[in-house]
Amino acid sequence: MGKVPSFVIAKLLRFLTRLRGGGSAFPGLVLMKLRPQVLRETLGSLRLGTVFVSGSNGKSTTTTMIAALLRAHGIAVFSNPAGGNLPQGLASAVVGDAGLGGRVSADIAVVEVDEAYAGMIADALTPDWVVLTNIQVDQLNRFGEPENVYRMLRDLAARATTGVLVNAGDPNLVALGAEIAARGSRVEFVDLSPDALASARHGVVAAPLHSEAPESLQGSPAAVLSTTSGARAAIQVEGEDIALDLPAPGLHYAVDATLAVGCVSLVSGRNLDPQIVAHSMGQSVPVFGRGETISFKGADIALTMMKNLPSLQANLDAMTESPELVWVAVDEGTPDPSWIYDVELGVVDHVDVLTGTKAWQWALFLDYRGIPYGRVIEDTSEALLEVRRMAAEKDVAVTAIVNYEQMMLIRRLAGYKELEGVR
Amino acid sequence: MTQWFTIARVLPERLGLNGSSASAEIVAMTLRQMGHEVAIVDIHGPQDAPGTVDIVTVGSGSTSQISPAATELIGLVRLFQSWKQSGAYWIALGLGWDLLGEALITAGGDAVPGAGVFPSRADHRTGRFAGEVHGLDYRGRESAGYINQVGTTEILEGQSLVTLQSPPEGLPVAEGVRGENLFATRLGGPALALNPHWALDIASDVLLSRGLEPEIGEFHQRVDTAAAEARSRIIRRLRSRR
Repeated sequence: MGKVPSFVIAKLLRFLTRLRGGGSAFPGLVLMKLRPQVLRETLGSLRLGTVFVSGSNGKSTTTTMIAALLRAHGIAVFSNPAGGNLPQGLASAVVGDAGLGGRVSADIAVVEVDEAYAGMIADALTPDWVVLTNIQVDQLNRFGEPENVYRMLRDLAARATTGVLVNAGDPNLVALGAEIAARGSRVEFVDLSPDALASARHGVVAAPLHSEAPESLQGSPAAVLSTTSGARAAIQVEGEDIALDLPAPGLHYAVDATLAVGCVSLVSGRNLDPQIVAHSMGQSVPVFGRGETISFKGADIALTMMKNLPSLQANLDAMTESPELVWVAVDEGTPDPSWIYDVELGVVDHVDVLTGTKAWQWALFLDYRGIPYGRVIEDTSEALLEVRRMAAEKDVAVTAIVNYEQMMLIRRLAGYKELEGVR
Repeated sequence: MTQWFTIARVLPERLGLNGSSASAEIVAMTLRQMGHEVAIVDIHGPQDAPGTVDIVTVGSGSTSQISPAATELIGLVRLFQSWKQSGAYWIALGLGWDLLGEALITAGGDAVPGAGVFPSRADHRTGRFAGEVHGLDYRGRESAGYINQVGTTEILEGQSLVTLQSPPEGLPVAEGVRGENLFATRLGGPALALNPHWALDIASDVLLSRGLEPEIGEFHQRVDTAAAEARSRIIRRLRSRR
């Protein structure tokens, strides 16, 4: 079908789905059916090319940071919203941004891509740069084992036409970088100082694939995370030390910021403005549900994501005081929660309410850890009312440890209507 | 009367994926809540071996751990033989079971010799299954868990641990093995937590070997109740998909 009619149909579908409340990736799916080459047509010839961001964790945050830093430097950016990292999600973002003629007004595309779909997206849109955040133990029910994620990301990285930027704090990415550099790819990296690595009790929580990898990457790092503490970090780039604020406390946010700074330095031809970087990062806020605090009938609920072991461990490591009111909510979105037995709960010394269809599995885990828990209320809306009542009674905030699906549900029940992955 | 027990946890960094090194903690908690003292000792080489060992646990791992773990296990074989002769109880999950069996054939077709503790042979050349399962165990008790494992395991001796009910195509009905002082399963990390009757059986066997009876208390009843609730959700999910 012609370009204009295809976009008219897709935009009409987008309008209709949004009228129903929220939105969906459906318009993007339809657009890809009508124009299979739509991603290449719209994003394939932008002036500064395309950056893919992938990895086990930190994709959304790093993508958001890169886009924000580029925009702050006066560069027009196309990006997919957090979580919209499948082909149809990316195409839906194109539906939203492009005109009826299918033109996207941007200098560069910075897109988050799901590990498993990275190859498919790269078939539709060749990346100039690939930024890799980490390889961690994640979604074993989906990926089988982290070795498969390594292969997916290695194959994606090998398709970058300009270069690859990796987090050298993750030994798996050092091994991956060395492997593709040996095949002729340009590999850049960001480094983490020993001080920075030591700031989190469990470091970067890399998957145990290449923990003894002897390889090191050639050249100078694009950026170095010198120090980090709480929600502050110092990053060396282009001979400057930049002190900046992070969207939330934790080494993982500091690593994401270092990758973003390194990426923008490379893309901009080593032409960063340190003041703009510090100011832009200071304005950054947590990406949808990651370290976000929402409000429900006067109760503050801080959402701590338990997407997988590394993300939960990093978030727990960043907690400095025992939370007073703890709510754990986990459902089918975490098909196999076995990994919770590998978590060190740190300052979390009790749980008040357990929610979701996996609540009893958490209760068992707490029993074996010797950590007391209160009530199991499997229904999320009922539990939300209960934790709100308890928060009001104790006059404290709620620390909610939630999986992605429960995070989405809790946000919706609390009146936050926007959906991730949709705009 | 309080007794001292030692659990040897073998190569927990290599063979501890996805909660599978928790078997040691679960059995330790089961015994501690009966009033006994339990030490968990991580074993990376013969130098780590404690004087006596009552229970040995080994967890699961990913493909890249097969070669280094198998190499490190070679250095532990004599130790394993002495523990076996002294009557230690063995608990193995997933890849740890495969490596402690007679032999393992990798996905690439390479033959890896096993440590010879379990009478079983593993073959990783067939596909992976990941999903929840349930069935009845060797005493007819409802049991459940999550399997994420590649290949098949042939049991040469002993009784199957669970007879799976309506397993997915390609997954054998007989899961795991139970023999004299042996317990192994492809069920993932917290298999003993979700099925505390197994942890109790193991604790009872270990206590009986010293002429002691298990003392079931409030903790054991509480985890039994919580586990029954957790298993019932698994069974409900599986039935709704059929």
